[in-house]
Amino acid sequence: MSDTPRPPLLSVEKLEVVYQRAITAIQGVSLSVEEGQIVAVLGTNGAGKSTTLRAISGFLGIDDARVTDGSIRFRGRRIENRQPNEITRLGIALVPERDKVFPNLTVAENLAAPVTRGARRDDEAIYQVFPRLAELRGRTAGLLSGGERQMLAIAGALMCGPDLLLVDELSLGLAPVAVEELMQRLLQIRQDLGITILIVEQSATAALEIADYGYVLENGRVVLDGDAARLRGHGDIQEFYLGQSSGTERRSYRDVKQYRRSRRWYG
Amino acid sequence: MSSRVPRASGYFRTRYDGYLALTQTRLERVSLIVFLAALIVFPAVASAFYLDLVTQVFLASIGALSLMLLTGYAGQISLGHAGLLCAGAFTAGILAKEWDAPFWVTLPAATLSGALLGVIFGLPSLRLRGLYLAISTLALHFVVVYLGGEYETKRGFSTGITLDAPVIGGWTVYGGRVWYYILLAAAAATLLICLNLLRGRTGRAWRAICAHETVAEALGVNVAGHKLLAFVVSSALTALSGALFAYYRGFVSVEAFSLFLSIQYVAMIIIGGMGSLLGAILGAAFVTIFPYVIEAVMLMLPNAQSYAGVLFAVNYAAFGLVMVLFLLFEPLGLVGIWQRIQTYFLLWPFKHKPLSGGRR
Amino acid sequence: MQLLVNIIVLSSIYALIACGYVLIYRVSRVLNLAHGELMMLGAYLLLTTASLFNGNPWLAIGAAVVLSLAVGVMVYVFLMRKMTGEMVLAAVLATVALGILLRGVMVLVWSAQQQYPGQAMGFTSTALALPGGARISLFAAILVGVTALTYLALFVFLRFGRWGVRMRAAGQNPLLAAQRGINLHGVYALAWGLSTLTGSLAGMLIALDSGLTGSMAIIGLKAFPAALVGGLDSLIGALIGALIIGASEVLSIQYIDPLLSDVVPFLVLIAMLIARPWGLFGTREELDRV
Repeated sequence: MSDTPRPPLLSVEKLEVVYQRAITAIQGVSLSVEEGQIVAVLGTNGAGKSTTLRAISGFLGIDDARVTDGSIRFRGRRIENRQPNEITRLGIALVPERDKVFPNLTVAENLAAPVTRGARRDDEAIYQVFPRLAELRGRTAGLLSGGERQMLAIAGALMCGPDLLLVDELSLGLAPVAVEELMQRLLQIRQDLGITILIVEQSATAALEIADYGYVLENGRVVLDGDAARLRGHGDIQEFYLGQSSGTERRSYRDVKQYRRSRRWYG
Repeated sequence: MSSRVPRASGYFRTRYDGYLALTQTRLERVSLIVFLAALIVFPAVASAFYLDLVTQVFLASIGALSLMLLTGYAGQISLGHAGLLCAGAFTAGILAKEWDAPFWVTLPAATLSGALLGVIFGLPSLRLRGLYLAISTLALHFVVVYLGGEYETKRGFSTGITLDAPVIGGWTVYGGRVWYYILLAAAAATLLICLNLLRGRTGRAWRAICAHETVAEALGVNVAGHKLLAFVVSSALTALSGALFAYYRGFVSVEAFSLFLSIQYVAMIIIGGMGSLLGAILGAAFVTIFPYVIEAVMLMLPNAQSYAGVLFAVNYAAFGLVMVLFLLFEPLGLVGIWQRIQTYFLLWPFKHKPLSGGRR
Repeated sequence: MQLLVNIIVLSSIYALIACGYVLIYRVSRVLNLAHGELMMLGAYLLLTTASLFNGNPWLAIGAAVVLSLAVGVMVYVFLMRKMTGEMVLAAVLATVALGILLRGVMVLVWSAQQQYPGQAMGFTSTALALPGGARISLFAAILVGVTALTYLALFVFLRFGRWGVRMRAAGQNPLLAAQRGINLHGVYALAWGLSTLTGSLAGMLIALDSGLTGSMAIIGLKAFPAALVGGLDSLIGALIGALIIGASEVLSIQYIDPLLSDVVPFLVLIAMLIARPWGLFGTREELDRV
């Protein structure tokens, strides 16, 4: 049975991020990730998923954005508005959406570049998870295929020795087969290496396959959250993100929002 | 909408004509007239030294304004400004020396040579941007200065070319006051040309190119044509100022047109504040007056005589230091400082404007 | 034969200076136009350490080398670090301003006279005889050797050294590098330190060979086309570029016109900018980093 409740590994409370002091990207976003979980953050384009991830990993400064309200706590320590390399040193590694590898370095060099936390690095464990990369050791990263590049990106993040892995839009530009393969790898990473994973995805199907818990973002707010199983069965999710409609009538977006709002008010 | 309180509440324009107007409020108009009157009366009250100083500022302003057009508005970096000044000065000098050409031939000729050179300086801008464009202008500067040096050596003017004062209808142009008014007129004319270019289509095209070239192209702006136009106009004006400089000093030598001079002009627009004609003039004034201030400070130190030999080194060091300080701490330049002073007084007793947007 | 020797010597000078430009550009995409002045500073430092450690020239050299490394790091920490968020052009202008500042300070501290550190340290410059009737001065020969060693060391470091790989990574994708725990400020400071070090070595050797004058900074500026022709982020490029520029300069002085010596590097530069702006071995990048 469960012992005394431990504080979550990552806890985001009422986070608000503003771009260029003018545009609010997310507001009142709260989520928490327990150790050993795989948590999915879903939503359409522009919902604020990547912004949330960037806020956690310290990447906001580049886009002239700031956390203006709320907090992000990792192991109880506040980490919002810190430098990216500080956050990596605390144990969070990000697999970014774009520019995810060092294009003119070889695969082996890509894996040598990251700075490991604490103990010595362990190349072999990583090559165990991604045996394909072991074959490609000498290849220049810019010449890899999309799927291989994504593998290298994840492997690079793992070389930092993180406790929490953030994955931004894994499935972009990849064939469904490749996406599924990578998702399985993520499961393996959680299993073998004991790393907690927070995954941001547009492709709800793929993400909910492996996640334990999920949050749905829309227009910068969390509109829905729950266990993966519950989300998979949820009518709205099925309709709008999984493309499965229950009836012949097509409901409009507005209808659904109304429905949700009334649900929130009236229980 | 009051025309007495300057800009306190923002825009006052109610018609499109308003965009083209030179001054917006009555206060601005009055200040402008007072300022002009002061400029015209100045020679009557000033000593020869200050007269010369202000005249130099006028001359520098022409170059600074043209560089501001090119770099501050059209966004094309140029480190070769001294090369263009050199071209203008040498054109005037060569024509005067070889063919005894009068000034009303040499000045337009200098302007024309500047325009032609502007095409050459501008061609790289069609392929290169930013740093690489700056490098190309730098290289071209060296080529131009080399050609000037070649002429000097080959024709035996190793110390430089002397120019006779220009003659207008039998009357020789000579003397501090005369040059003051000539250069005041030239600077004012340049300012008007710049203002007119910027108020119209060309200025809008340039701003569009500076902001986002691809979008400008997509909107139908002839990017290549306008880039070249910026170079041509800027170079023509600069060459003209070089020729005027040649007549003003009565002497042309290639040593005067060093890389340091190019940097001084770039410093003028940075210290003044990029993207503002007022900034160009303020920057020109600052950089021109700076060496005199340094000299004055040095004279106040004890044992002043021993420093005389190293004055130029102190100048260099101080100039470099000031430029670094401006780049680090005040990237918006003197105009930025001026705007902050204005804002302070306008908003007082409040500290800053309330936040707009991003909040419920 | 003498012509060939001259080409090799001049190219070595340019190459040793050019690798400084490449180091900084490759790692931080900044063009250090103060490199010529920093080079001169190294030579002046040698003059000072030579008189400090009178009688022990090797200690003087060592001290000057260490000081130059420190100067490079300090330039980054106190100036360039503040410019990291800004436009690249602003950073470049900052280096230009630094160069002007250094020029003034150097004259103030050491006077504008020509100096001879070699004499101060008791070295005499002898000329070595080479096959074919050519001659090369001792220090010029040492310079060629130092250049070769420096390039070898840099190649090995960047290719195989742990921090060498990290420097290259930071140059390619600074954001990702920061995310992977690489301390960007540390990497940049290291690049500046190494760059100033190599530049100072060049300055010192030139000064030992033919004396220290104010025109040394111009040599530094002429080496810049060598870096660009080869590709601003390629060490091999810098080597080849230096060879091209050196050969062009020596040959044009010999066969066309001696006055061309100062402008030939820039003519080659213009030609390269027209034909292939990113240089012979450089990575083809978007050339609009303003």
